[in-house]
Amino acid sequence: MHVHLYRLPSVRRLLAIALVAAVPVALRATVLVPIEFRELVAISSTIVHGRVVDARADWVDGRRAIDTFLTVDVQEYFKGGAGETVVVRVPGGQLGRYRTIFVGAPEFQRGDEVILFLRGNPASGAFIVGLSQGAFRVAPDRAGRRMVTSPVVMGTSLDRPQPVVRGDVSRRPLAVEAFRDLVKQVMAGGAPR
Amino acid sequence: MRRLRAAAVIAAIVLSAPALDAYLKLGTRVGANLVPIRWTAFPIRYFVTNRDVAGVSAPQLQQAVASALGTWSAVPNVSIQSQFVGFTGTVPISGDGMTVIGFQNRPDLDRVLGSTTFTIDTVTGEVLESDIFLNSLFSWSVAAGGEEGRQDVESIALHELGHLLGLGHSALGETELLGGGRRVLGAESVMFPIAFSAGNLNRAPRADDVAGLSDVYGGDQFRSSTGSITGRVTKNGSGVLGAHVIAFNPETGHMVGGFSLAADGAFTIGGLEPGLHVVRAEPLDDGEVGSFIDPSQPVDLDFKPAIYGRLVAVPGGGTASRIDVKVTPK
Repeated sequence: MHVHLYRLPSVRRLLAIALVAAVPVALRATVLVPIEFRELVAISSTIVHGRVVDARADWVDGRRAIDTFLTVDVQEYFKGGAGETVVVRVPGGQLGRYRTIFVGAPEFQRGDEVILFLRGNPASGAFIVGLSQGAFRVAPDRAGRRMVTSPVVMGTSLDRPQPVVRGDVSRRPLAVEAFRDLVKQVMAGGAPR
Repeated sequence: MRRLRAAAVIAAIVLSAPALDAYLKLGTRVGANLVPIRWTAFPIRYFVTNRDVAGVSAPQLQQAVASALGTWSAVPNVSIQSQFVGFTGTVPISGDGMTVIGFQNRPDLDRVLGSTTFTIDTVTGEVLESDIFLNSLFSWSVAAGGEEGRQDVESIALHELGHLLGLGHSALGETELLGGGRRVLGAESVMFPIAFSAGNLNRAPRADDVAGLSDVYGGDQFRSSTGSITGRVTKNGSGVLGAHVIAFNPETGHMVGGFSLAADGAFTIGGLEPGLHVVRAEPLDDGEVGSFIDPSQPVDLDFKPAIYGRLVAVPGGGTASRIDVKVTPK
């Protein structure tokens, strides 16, 4: 069954306002505690740009769970770190025919280019801060530039609340170099206002 | 690994009616196919870890879980049953073939209130086990009206049990930045993936959640009483992959979300009440795309939100005429 559409251009703006206004401020917690970018930088002991060269699942916690251990070939440390590779432990993975899915955990393949915000020991198995929130992927744009695919969500004021509006024209994917500069700027306490 | 008796199985071939795609559903790859996760054997038998945390005893956790399961079971026109088997000394996320829900101390996941895991046989698609942990790193409460500074067990359990039943995340929520942190302003779904401030309750599924659960478990009555919208999101004539598309009913205030999940920008939003709807498309440029869509996909974030220029009339038991929501680059 199909029906026709009704043209009501005069109420478009009104409905747009209604669409926004209908979002209440009543509902509560779900799964992740959100992290703002400054906080992400501050609480991470290691921030690394590199490429996943190995992803190996293994039993952990006395064979009671499966985690995946990534080996990341380091291209550059933005914060902390030493060594040519880091090992990152991510919940979930596949061993033989059995796969453990940890809902919300990022998944990586060998060859993925990433920027990871880490805590713990990067030599034996650091973990990603905020599960997926500390994982940024890098991919080329049409011009071949290496771009961080997820835009940075960061306020321009610490003093007043700023709604995070989807489609904000000022929030765009950054080139890896610009992303690195932003991290350094935040570390130096000079984040943009 | 011992099989879970009467466990869930992958149900791609069980769905007799067309999938409505009203909602992101959890899925897994079986051979060359990506199939949704869905329980087909009821009751869902679950254990609760016999471990107390400050302010919440194991029996109180069990009661909150039972209440949350009851909330999902009360969604009209779906049939879900569950059974509490007993308390256990084992923790969640264990390869013991049991569905276990409980508190666990996970300092490595210090921004995760709770999570759901599935262990799946990738050859048969059978779900061998599903577990839910609530992170005891946080402060918890089962107070009827919530408790300042403490997360509400039933609210988080409701979200995680939504996952256990096969629901993915909803993007119907808004956040704001304040004082170097970020907080949720509002959400029109209990499956929004990030947390509200502690001390508040979120124990009632919204229209988006009802549409999602009904999409997975609803029967003919649900499908005949609701309708859907299909169309494409396009930019400069090309499809937009990964746009969040919202259908808003101004008469009831209900919202149901969907995504354009194909390269040509095609989307379907199902489970809608018959009537007029406003349709809006927006980019997922305010968070981790991987919470919603496979991040290896070339998700397009470079466009401005757009509202379709007409109200869309959704018929009961049918589909509105295809629409083309045109967006422009930022």
